Amino acid sequence: MTLLRAKDLTKRFVARGPLGAKAGFTAVDRVSFDVRLGETLAVVGESGSGKSTTARMIAKLLEPSEGTLEFEGEDVTHAKGAALARFRGNVQVVFQDPFSSLNPRHTVERILMAPLVYQGIAPNGGRRAHAKELMERVGLNPDHSLRYPAQFSGGQAQRIGIARALAVNPRLVICDEAVSALDVSVQAQVIELLRRLQRESGFSYVFIAHDLAVVRQIAQRVAVMSKGRIVELGTTGQVFDDPQDEYTRTLLAAIPRIDPEWERRRREKI
Amino acid sequence: MSELLVVEDLTVTFPTTRGPVDVVKDVSFTVGRDETVGIVGESGSGKSMTSLAIMGLLPRGATTRGSIRLDGTEVLGASARELRRLRGDRMSMIFQDPLSSLNPYYTVGLQIEELYRAHRGGSRAAAREVVTGALRQVGLPDPERRARHYPHQFSGGQRQRIMIAMALVCSPSLLIADEPTTALDVTVQAQILRLLADLRGQSGMGMVFITHDLAVISSIATRVLVMRRGEQVEYGTAEQVFAEPRHDYTRMLLDSIPRIDDPLDEVSA
Amino acid sequence: MARYLAGRAAGVVLILFLVCLFTFVIFFTLSPDPAVMICGKTCTPERIDQIRDVLGLDEPFLAQFFGFLAGIFAGRDYGAGANLVHCAAPCLGYSFQTNQSVWDMVVERLPVSATVAVGAAVLWLFLGIVAGLLSAVKEGTWWDRAAMGLALGGSSVPNYVLALALQYVLVVQLQVLPFPQAVAFSDGPALWFQSYLMPWLVLATGYACLYARLTRANVIDTLAENFMRTARSKGLSPALTMRRHALRPALTPIATIFGMDFAALLGGALITETVFGLNGVGKMAADSIAKNDQPVIMAVTLLAAFFVVIGNVVVDLVYTRLDPRVRITAR
Repeated sequence: MTLLRAKDLTKRFVARGPLGAKAGFTAVDRVSFDVRLGETLAVVGESGSGKSTTARMIAKLLEPSEGTLEFEGEDVTHAKGAALARFRGNVQVVFQDPFSSLNPRHTVERILMAPLVYQGIAPNGGRRAHAKELMERVGLNPDHSLRYPAQFSGGQAQRIGIARALAVNPRLVICDEAVSALDVSVQAQVIELLRRLQRESGFSYVFIAHDLAVVRQIAQRVAVMSKGRIVELGTTGQVFDDPQDEYTRTLLAAIPRIDPEWERRRREKI
Repeated sequence: MSELLVVEDLTVTFPTTRGPVDVVKDVSFTVGRDETVGIVGESGSGKSMTSLAIMGLLPRGATTRGSIRLDGTEVLGASARELRRLRGDRMSMIFQDPLSSLNPYYTVGLQIEELYRAHRGGSRAAAREVVTGALRQVGLPDPERRARHYPHQFSGGQRQRIMIAMALVCSPSLLIADEPTTALDVTVQAQILRLLADLRGQSGMGMVFITHDLAVISSIATRVLVMRRGEQVEYGTAEQVFAEPRHDYTRMLLDSIPRIDDPLDEVSA
Repeated sequence: MARYLAGRAAGVVLILFLVCLFTFVIFFTLSPDPAVMICGKTCTPERIDQIRDVLGLDEPFLAQFFGFLAGIFAGRDYGAGANLVHCAAPCLGYSFQTNQSVWDMVVERLPVSATVAVGAAVLWLFLGIVAGLLSAVKEGTWWDRAAMGLALGGSSVPNYVLALALQYVLVVQLQVLPFPQAVAFSDGPALWFQSYLMPWLVLATGYACLYARLTRANVIDTLAENFMRTARSKGLSPALTMRRHALRPALTPIATIFGMDFAALLGGALITETVFGLNGVGKMAADSIAKNDQPVIMAVTLLAAFFVVIGNVVVDLVYTRLDPRVRITAR
């Protein structure tokens, strides 16, 4: 079942220079893809590929210049008011930098209750209990619900960001470089958390990342973007093991790898 | 000893409101004349402080113990004048973010030229020749014209090439590279890594390569130092550290690396 | 570049036009009948009518407004027949108080205000930047704290208090300076210098304190930049590191603020000129407001607007020369 459908999404930015000269720039050029219920679709690319602009358009944080966006069969391209609020109740975003996307003056409890208040949801047992439950689900100590974001480590803060996204029980979670800023050991834990949450709740991810190795750990399908276009879209196995596009091959070849022989020897020892 | 750089029991201490804190504790390693030593660690491991200590660039207030010898010259406790003579000439450093590491107000040519002239003197015209040669060496097309451009007119990869050209213009015997590819795209990273390896091989200098990325380290370093919270966890040849890690922390780090060659289901917590 | 300049010039003209219009509207609607004021104490209704006629005060608003504008560019005639007075362009009208040509008044007084502004600017730039630099380099030392405390205090002392205090100490008590008077340079450089010294000091104090704090903050920010670390890693001398790498980034923003402050001062230093009895544009503004001398008020308002708007353009142009990042995108 198709949850979200992006069709020919295009974003053009017009920059006006100090001389009044206009410079058009197409950040995203006719990008189309489907997101199925329960799957993880990764969108990968280097800086300037348009992956973040795409993420912002499907999260409806940015209006596309052209193209349409459908959610559960409904055209939400220009959704406003109640339709937009409904969309926000179904689609949530986890951002790259947890600290700048969490209000430093609000307690975790308040941060986690805010989406419920906004959506007018009153869960059984009250919002406060729901917030504690969420903290538990993402592996945080619920006794810390009255602490502030600054009192948590980077990995823990990102868990708060994930819990906030899950508060309204969304159908789609967009992760915009959600694990890029984390140390590698913390990153592995957060990836595992994201996978577990999906197994438990069955929602979909659109996983925006520049790190292909991370993508391989989490996505069923991968869209490779370059210069505003999707150059390749396929199952993770196909894209990684049998890339069709020249750019995908370059990208894969550029990833630094540990000598496989060393890897094999290390694994044998365990 | 023919080692180029000898670091012995290096400790770097910072004063804080809660008393002095050791950000680097008893770290020892050596760098040979023709090799790359990798220092790897997560944030807060003290790897960057170690490199700044070698360059004598620690922030004000930091105190150091131990010994750092470059070609037999003690760096810790050297006078400001002696350190200035070493920096840029016998040891150089490149940084993570090449855009903010270059002064936006001056052409890249001038920024390389001033380093060369500070150590070798000579006329500006002569220095300009050297600058052009240095930029050509790092693979910057049309170096004569590009030397007159400003940092913001280059791409991220080109800026890091410029930083490398600047660091190497006096042919130092030691290059310290502090996360030089972290801010770059993966395809550009591959180019810069190759360039660094090539230039190091040609000149026979020693290199200290600092990164949080174990895969990057494995592709460039002959010896590896693993750091954690200021302490040295493991130190050995790259092969030994990656194939037969002795310490649990190293094993955990290696297990955490998302593996490009592994299908989804093989990975578990 | 030519297109950019043309655009800016059009903007300048538009803003000055609007300033004219608003000033005119305000005086047209809010002020008492100028004819009555000009007429003075020995006044008859006939005389008032005559003045109205000569000044065109009976005409509708727009006609008066465009008459004023036309006067600036082409000159205009007041009255008719034997009473005809030709006011050559640029005509800003005649003072209600003295009957003098307002343009002539401006031409006469502008050099005084310019002298005050230039002298003060040299002083405050030198004092402010040197003090700010020293503070930044010696951040946290007793010098830094003392200088910044003084700067904070100095920038909160009102100009007229400082002016009166200075006058009392230097002229009355110590008698090292003569009582301030309007002196031309031709009257002797020493006397000229003495008469302007106090206005310079008074005006410069507030600005110097402000600029010292700005300079300090900018230099401290710049010293923390990554490129300063690079400069040190290159083994450059401390002098070169400071002069080349720190000063230019730190002082460029100050240059732009200076342009605006200086331009505003050319429009007259109202309080300082009044306190020291200097016949500058500022004093002219103060006098004209006190006596509701509309043509003069119009002129000083326009003049101030002119300098501020032009100053703005000059600052922008200079900035594109100082900061290469702006320079390149402007091409």
